[in-house]
Amino acid sequence: MALTVLVFLPAVVAAIILLTPKAYESYARWTALAGAVAVFGLALGIFFSLDLSKGGYQFTVTKDWVDIGSFNLQYHLGVDGISMPLVMLTAVLTVAAVLVSFGIKERQRAYFACLLTLTTSVLGVFCALDTMLFFLFWELELFPMFLLIAVWGSGRREYAATKFIIYTFAGSAFMLVGILILAFNANTFDIAVLQNTTFHDTVLPLRWVFLFLLIGFAVKLPMVPFHTWAPDAYSSAPTAVSVLLAGIFEVMGGYGIIRLCVSILPGVAQDYSIWFAAIGAGGLLYCAFITFRQTDIKKLVAYLSVSQMGLVLLGISALGQTGLVGATYQLVAHGIITAMLFVMVGLLVERTGTKEIAKMGGLARQMPLLACGLGFAGFASLGLPSLAGFIAEFTVFLGSFQRYEWAVLMAIFGAVLSAGYILWMLQRVIFGPIRHDAETDALPDQRHWWEHSAVAGMAAIIILLGVYPALLTDMIGPAVSTIMTRVGS
Amino acid sequence: MGADQAWILVALPAAAFVVLALCGRWLPRQGDVLAVLAIGASLVLYFFVLHDFLHQRDGLVNSHEYWSIAMHHTWSNVGNFNLNFGTYVDPLSAVMVGVVTIAGTLITIFSIGYMKGEVRYWWFFAVLMGFIAAKLMLVLSDNLLLLYFAWEGVGVCSFLLIGFYWEKRSAAEAAKKAFITTRIGDVGLLIGIILLWKATGTFNIQDILTAATTGQIGHVYLFVSLMFIFLGAMGKSALFPFHVWLPDAMEGPTPVSALIHAATMVVAGVYLIARLLPAFEVVPASLLVVTIVGLVTAILTGFMALATTDIKKVLAYSTIGQLGFMYIALGCSHPDAAIMHLMTHAFFKSLLFLAAGSVIIGTHHNQDMKQLGGLWRKMPITAVTFLIGSLALAAVPPFSGFWSKDEIFHGTTAWNGGWVTFLLGFAAVLTALYTTRLFVRTFLGKPQDQAVYDNAHETGPVMVLPLIILALITCVAGFTVFNGVGRAMGFPGGFTEFVFLHEPERFVMNWSWAAASAVIAFGGVFLAGWIYWGNRITISTRLADWQPGVYNMLVNKFYFDDLYQAGIDRGLLGFSYVVSWFDRYVVNDTGVDGVADTTRYSGSILKYVQTGKVPAYALGIALGAVGLAIAGLVVRG
Repeated sequence: MALTVLVFLPAVVAAIILLTPKAYESYARWTALAGAVAVFGLALGIFFSLDLSKGGYQFTVTKDWVDIGSFNLQYHLGVDGISMPLVMLTAVLTVAAVLVSFGIKERQRAYFACLLTLTTSVLGVFCALDTMLFFLFWELELFPMFLLIAVWGSGRREYAATKFIIYTFAGSAFMLVGILILAFNANTFDIAVLQNTTFHDTVLPLRWVFLFLLIGFAVKLPMVPFHTWAPDAYSSAPTAVSVLLAGIFEVMGGYGIIRLCVSILPGVAQDYSIWFAAIGAGGLLYCAFITFRQTDIKKLVAYLSVSQMGLVLLGISALGQTGLVGATYQLVAHGIITAMLFVMVGLLVERTGTKEIAKMGGLARQMPLLACGLGFAGFASLGLPSLAGFIAEFTVFLGSFQRYEWAVLMAIFGAVLSAGYILWMLQRVIFGPIRHDAETDALPDQRHWWEHSAVAGMAAIIILLGVYPALLTDMIGPAVSTIMTRVGS
Repeated sequence: MGADQAWILVALPAAAFVVLALCGRWLPRQGDVLAVLAIGASLVLYFFVLHDFLHQRDGLVNSHEYWSIAMHHTWSNVGNFNLNFGTYVDPLSAVMVGVVTIAGTLITIFSIGYMKGEVRYWWFFAVLMGFIAAKLMLVLSDNLLLLYFAWEGVGVCSFLLIGFYWEKRSAAEAAKKAFITTRIGDVGLLIGIILLWKATGTFNIQDILTAATTGQIGHVYLFVSLMFIFLGAMGKSALFPFHVWLPDAMEGPTPVSALIHAATMVVAGVYLIARLLPAFEVVPASLLVVTIVGLVTAILTGFMALATTDIKKVLAYSTIGQLGFMYIALGCSHPDAAIMHLMTHAFFKSLLFLAAGSVIIGTHHNQDMKQLGGLWRKMPITAVTFLIGSLALAAVPPFSGFWSKDEIFHGTTAWNGGWVTFLLGFAAVLTALYTTRLFVRTFLGKPQDQAVYDNAHETGPVMVLPLIILALITCVAGFTVFNGVGRAMGFPGGFTEFVFLHEPERFVMNWSWAAASAVIAFGGVFLAGWIYWGNRITISTRLADWQPGVYNMLVNKFYFDDLYQAGIDRGLLGFSYVVSWFDRYVVNDTGVDGVADTTRYSGSILKYVQTGKVPAYALGIALGAVGLAIAGLVVRG
């Protein structure tokens, strides 16, 4: 029951916001904040009452929903050690996204309603234990996301929004085929049952089914070469939305691969694991090189984000306990770190009114706190030990090194490159001589409590996850072990 | 307090870092007192730890067992490895902690004077504390993973300190360069750690050493992993070919240079190799690599120092050179000599840097020896302390540098043929040459720039006091090599009887060796004195004019900077350009937008087919049917 409330609470709050009269427009943000905090509190409660000794699904809710002949659609929710940290991540980033949107002026009610609807859909994806339900939640986010980019975005926003939606839809179509084939084979949509079913080639060979599922997730992840929608969408989206895109949507892709592809079809995953390693490490390097040439700061962070998602694939490729724990940890760490980077960059862009790195410089003087935040997030992102990113990165390296040394060496080389592009970016944006011209002198040092609290909270979480990984690993470990017994490696 | 509570030494500066970083600017005096108290308390507690450690050692005074006190605590389990927090106190780490806390305390006090009135005063002390805490954790850690945490912590703090004046483009560049260059080495260290973990399943240093010495790791495998680890040490110690970052790092405030160059950051690599030396010994080839890298570094930097006129950069090159000496000793399996040189060098080089800082403050930010000279009369205390530091650096007896360098000379006999000893002697002559040149051109002779000279003054007590203390230590630190001195201080004997690899060795005065190394030192000093004090500076300018190519090569650090810059500009950024072009125009515009455009275009053409007229459709159906029929006939044959 708790999960049902958790998943639908944001949607209810969104409805309330939409239904309030226009005269109360300015209260929308407060309502949204209250809703987000409530979701966060509830998620925290579930997080700490999860039984760590069990690997399976907990807090399950099952209701028959639609009955079609031999198999039926169920309303089946539940969380385990893999999805719980991601639910928590979603709750945290929703609060952060609402906070950084406090300055939004235009159509506030619609904006916050869209934001919260997104939260419902993402929470639904992480909690759904029925493939059809999973798919419905998965598709639910498209429309509000389209609106958020197209209405509140900047730059080539229509192009970006359209590209995003077509790309994701195309991916989802493949995924739906995959889900249906699995369901026809096993006569069920229930993920828990599917995970214990042994599949054989039928209409289509299993590897095709695997590929279909994978394409849907790969677009979301985004996996090279399906990544080109991401820089455009991230760059055009408003700050809070790029935070959610990078922090949660990419994570959904990784989660889908672990939850559906690897857990349900472990045999195929085993056969093709080398491709995961190659695409993970190769994509990581490929995007790292592209990051060097970016002149738009939001695109730079976008490519950086795509690059680091390669680690997730690399972690999965080993199909071992350590690697999968690392991949899941990387989902969380990457989510929060990239989200923080996007918050900082978004605020910087809002203040300076430009995305061009060349037009920035010496901003640490005008905006010391923003500069600190950007520096912190940058170092977290390049994998500084004692911050969350390092634990994830290192675990992935250790896990995959057992199987694909070459891929790990490539990824470690990527770590050098990441230090390069991040420090270069920091140096050009916040360090260096202060520019004195009409544009920069007029820059206000706006300090808003909402931005500060969002940034401070994220920084605190990054440090906490960096020095005390047991908080999550004690939860992820048992859940991964249950998958491992199926993979049998 | 016992030696198993050594973690408190780390915790104090770490706590000071947190407090200062979060609310330093609002504290009275911006919190500098808090910083001094924290590191001072660590220093005091260090003596308690040392006392307890030596006391426990008394129990086994007759057996020459290597002894240690370890504490460890598992705090997180990730996948199938654990994150452990553990400290390991043995003679090696005891010496290192002593060096860091003593030098750290003096440098922190000195900073109060040097940094007076600077912007972000509190931030300087915050990062200084963070740096010291990380460095202490590095030397106390009992496992490689925790060591790596500290290693990177040191790196990021040095980035912040070197880039302290980030408004200056050169400082921001230098900070970036330092971090990225060392990061390349760090990645090597990380790979080395992963390789050793794969072979042994543990991060614990002692377990890894046991596995290595009992032959559980294949020799080739071990060699490869040790070379990766050595890469990390090379990056941190700025050894050839990573030496480019250190001279640029002089952009940081001078106390930072003292801290980074003398006592702490650069010697992290020496410590790491000394710690893992039993494993290096298993594969002699790895020791040979260490020796050769050390030799090349020592000789090349000696030449570069001779062609530099910025006093801090001369000191920077000399630091790299002295690190080369330490690596040579390590390559000869003599950690005792290496660590002793590390210890003496930490003190005399801190002294030299702080004295150079005093010169810089006293002459109102002038650090080019072309504009200095004759400062002897204006800044007597600085001059005397600088002289003591210089003599120690030039290894003139009886100053501390002489004793430790003598130990290194001794050690090189391990390599047959004497080629190491010969090249080492050559490097030592170079050291004496450039050190004397530095001192003479700064403090003696005629003032080169009268305005600078007229405004010069001695610096205040808060800066001079650390100089005097360091000068005293520099005078006496070398005597710790004697058995009697060590015993009088409560140690089991002289330095080499305290820190050793296999067996403690009692120091015996070998007069022929001592005479030889004294001749080398004096020879270099007199040669430089003859040239630079005797107004024969034209000799060196004539040398430079005679072979301008060689001279320019030295000034430009053998063109390594340019080489790397070209590699980054042409190689990395060029390749990136190709990749991003491919991504934008091939993957996106052709692959993604191309598909979209094709769809749109074909739609725009095909829409004309939809005429809405029944006869047209009927015609289409008929033609289609005929076409299919023909096709069927053709296919069937």
